[in-house]
Amino acid sequence: MTQHETYWDIVWQQFRKNRLASWAVRALTPVVAIAICAPLICSNQPLVFDEGPQRLYPWFRGLFHTAEPVDYLFNMALIGFPVWAVAALIQNRRWKARGASVGRRWWWLSLQYVGLTAVLATAFSVPVLRPRNVYASRTFTQEQFASAQTKHGIYVLIPFGPIEQDLFGCENRPPLFRKPAAEWRESNDGFPHLIGTDNAGRDVFTRLVYGTRISITVGIVAVGIYLTIGCVLGSLAGYFGGFVDILISRVIEIVLLFPAFFLILTLVGLIGPSIYIIMVVIGLTGWPSIARLIRGEVLKQRAADYVSAAQALGFTHARIVFRHILPNSLAPALVAAPFGIANAIITEAGLSLLGFGVRPPTPSWGNVLRLGSENYSLVWLVIAPSLGIFFTVTVFNLIGNGLRDAMDPRLRSTR
Amino acid sequence: MWTYIIRRLLLMIPTLFGVTVVSFCIMQLAPGDPLMMQLGAGGSAGQSTQTREAFLIQKRDLKLDKPLLLNRNYFRDYTEPVRIAAHYLSLSVEEIRAEIPALAQANPTAEDVARREFLRSLKIPEFDSSLPDADQYESLARKIQAWVQVDCEDTGLNGVPEAIALLKRSDTPLRERIGAIRCLNRMVIDPFVFTYSSQPREAETPRVVSGWKEWWLKNEKTFPPLDPDRKEILEQQFATLVAEPDRGVLFEKLQEASYDRDDLPFFAHKLLDGGTLPERFVASIVLKLFVSVPLKLDVPLDASAAEVADVAANWKLHYDSQQAEYRPSLTTRCLRLFTDTQYAHMVTRLATFNFGRSTLATREPVSERLWSAVKVSAPLMIAAQILIYLIAVPLGVICAVRRGRLADNLISLVLFMLYSLPSFIAGMLFLMTLCFGKPFKVFPAMSLHSEGADDLSWVPWLADYAWHTVLPIVCLSLFSLAGLAMYSRSSLLDVISQDYVRTARAKGVREVFVILKHALRNGLIPIITLFSSFLPAMLGGSVLVEFLFGIPGMGRLSWVSIEQKDFPTLMALIYVDAIVVMFSILLSDLLYVAADPRISFGGKGAG
Repeated sequence: MTQHETYWDIVWQQFRKNRLASWAVRALTPVVAIAICAPLICSNQPLVFDEGPQRLYPWFRGLFHTAEPVDYLFNMALIGFPVWAVAALIQNRRWKARGASVGRRWWWLSLQYVGLTAVLATAFSVPVLRPRNVYASRTFTQEQFASAQTKHGIYVLIPFGPIEQDLFGCENRPPLFRKPAAEWRESNDGFPHLIGTDNAGRDVFTRLVYGTRISITVGIVAVGIYLTIGCVLGSLAGYFGGFVDILISRVIEIVLLFPAFFLILTLVGLIGPSIYIIMVVIGLTGWPSIARLIRGEVLKQRAADYVSAAQALGFTHARIVFRHILPNSLAPALVAAPFGIANAIITEAGLSLLGFGVRPPTPSWGNVLRLGSENYSLVWLVIAPSLGIFFTVTVFNLIGNGLRDAMDPRLRSTR
Repeated sequence: MWTYIIRRLLLMIPTLFGVTVVSFCIMQLAPGDPLMMQLGAGGSAGQSTQTREAFLIQKRDLKLDKPLLLNRNYFRDYTEPVRIAAHYLSLSVEEIRAEIPALAQANPTAEDVARREFLRSLKIPEFDSSLPDADQYESLARKIQAWVQVDCEDTGLNGVPEAIALLKRSDTPLRERIGAIRCLNRMVIDPFVFTYSSQPREAETPRVVSGWKEWWLKNEKTFPPLDPDRKEILEQQFATLVAEPDRGVLFEKLQEASYDRDDLPFFAHKLLDGGTLPERFVASIVLKLFVSVPLKLDVPLDASAAEVADVAANWKLHYDSQQAEYRPSLTTRCLRLFTDTQYAHMVTRLATFNFGRSTLATREPVSERLWSAVKVSAPLMIAAQILIYLIAVPLGVICAVRRGRLADNLISLVLFMLYSLPSFIAGMLFLMTLCFGKPFKVFPAMSLHSEGADDLSWVPWLADYAWHTVLPIVCLSLFSLAGLAMYSRSSLLDVISQDYVRTARAKGVREVFVILKHALRNGLIPIITLFSSFLPAMLGGSVLVEFLFGIPGMGRLSWVSIEQKDFPTLMALIYVDAIVVMFSILLSDLLYVAADPRISFGGKGAG
């Protein structure tokens, strides 16, 4: 069965022709992979721990019990990954045989992955279904070190936790620092700190890895919120016109008058710092520009024949707007999305740098940066998170650029 | 053109109104009444009377004791609440405690019901749950005392007539009179003014004089007649004091001068018997130095009847002199329904650019703080804007002319990386590499001038200033610079491929002129408008840059005032920022029309 070419197929083809943009999409994969697989890279919970005859699996149980809900979501994504990967391979082959384009296949597969994660997260949030964390109060690294003969554990690559402190001669150490054997107190002390430690002796590499989760979540959720608000308000203003239009346009104008970062800073500063508040506040302050784009596009589409046809068929306003007009006017808003994610990541880091961001024990790139700003001689605390932010932001900006060029009919080369 | 500008300015009014609404909403996000939070569940006010009074002044200054949008207090009947409040304020904690069981009993008297309802209306936390529990009575009594006090403070001037009526009635028992006086002390701050404000005005004279006159009437007989020789000396000293222009020196002289109590009649006469404003000003200060409490206004719980009558007389005097204030006419009350609210007061303050004082301990006027911050920030912003346009436009032109060649690719790549580099990361990298000695120590960090820079002549001063501000300016401009260069590249590319450029080339115009005269002129037009979109970004972005470089400008001020919850300053900042952005949008629209003859002021340009 051959499918006709849709608008998005054309955009996808154009996008793939842009070398930089396709590389950016590839470069995004390791970032997302690091975010999802964070516990597989760094964790201070042993995968397997032999306690006499008994064999324990603290790492796996720990996945279900995290301090930060964001971590829980990503852990569910990690658990769901093998299931999804197998299903995706089979499905992909079948769709390929049918001749679906690469873009479409990937789009559906990623949607399925998100759905699977959501299902897992909901399922395991029911107390009965989730494995009980009987080791919540145990620190395996200490126990293992106390009697190395009787107990045995296997750790993941880097045996440090994101909020695991070491205040015994491990503060502010440079990259590749390794505690001298005489000072070991825990079993993971012998492992080198790849990018050094911060002022509480926490491993910076681990914090950056876990910080990826926070940064990406803030970016995506915030942009999701403001895309939704912007689309709804923008299409209402464009479709109904008149009083509604005047009202919404005024509100857009007023919100745009406030310098964005300053407004966000004020709101977050007054309500109180937390990632969820940051997401919501970025979402609530970012919608006007999207709404304006959508409004213009909807105004253009409203005059089209298919809208008159839909009206003549007696469809409800909601159906006309959301089923017919909006899908045709989404393009400019979607171009803004990658740039928006990049911006949200920058905003979150900036807020954390000022001390209004993620609360300190929770790892985030901005938090590490803040410690660096307090003492510039700790070079690794500045450079490492800077590189992380710069890389991610560049990748999202490149994707945004590619998307914009791909949607621009003037730049469209003959196929 | 003028009609267009006027129309735009008129359209700004509803927008400004919207800005005040948004700012008001932001203010409301602040967590509740800080005083109440300090009182907490324990019920003991953890503040000394002095900080409490300072807080109260601040609260009234910000009008936080007023309702948000609709002030119905002028139509409420306060007779009953004031009576009960007076009852509770006349009791010690132990006495309140002894009364609580009466409130809790099964068949209370009408009086107890009224009191219970009153206490309930104060919204004391866990009031109902702790009423039947005898163990809680101790803390409940403390809470009742604190909350009744706060209620009096919130009632403010509205309850004064009822409290005075309570004092005037002849059948009021002594205890209740004491309570009423204590109520009045909570409701009114500084009923009498005994000294002038720091900028004396003639209008203040009647209030100042009236208080002292009352004091003089009461105390005249206690002073011996003044010795003529002494009077001579005093007269001379007084003349020098009055002539002293510097306020600080004046106070020093007053500290040194050796007056005793018997000299006071001299100053009282100076103040009361007419005289110039400076004379009265100095006399009132001297009197206040000696008589800290000229008219007694507060009474202890166990005051005698004579004492109470004396203080009550003072309060009545105050009430009678301010009748108009306390008994407003019906029209005034109807008007105040809308104008005496938090929102209305805020709009008035913003509209008149009268931002009040900061809530910090220094109580600096907000406008002064703002102005000193603007003086620091504005040069940086302007320098950054100039830098952006000076560098970005030529870069864009080079890229467009050399499209697809090495220069274009290289510059585009660098620009793109700059575009992705947040200003604060650039700033931190600069600070790390160039300011803190690893590996270079070229630029200074954390100040705008070297020490002793004020003594330099203007050339080295400027050089010093530039040396200190290079890095912040670069950080401020990086992001917008990259954006503008990329934008000017693409807009010039659009123009270059148009027919009239080809025509110019065909005519044999030299390539340089084709680009500079024909293409650039049209290509630059859209760039002008970007000016309005960079400004908000810079105002916001400067928070981080100024934070990193320790520059005491607008950005740092906003950070500090958010951190310290300094609402008046924050308000003013939000408002001023919004206005600046609004005018820059107007300016860029005007520039647009000026630059592009195809667009005119007519038509539907008002959007």
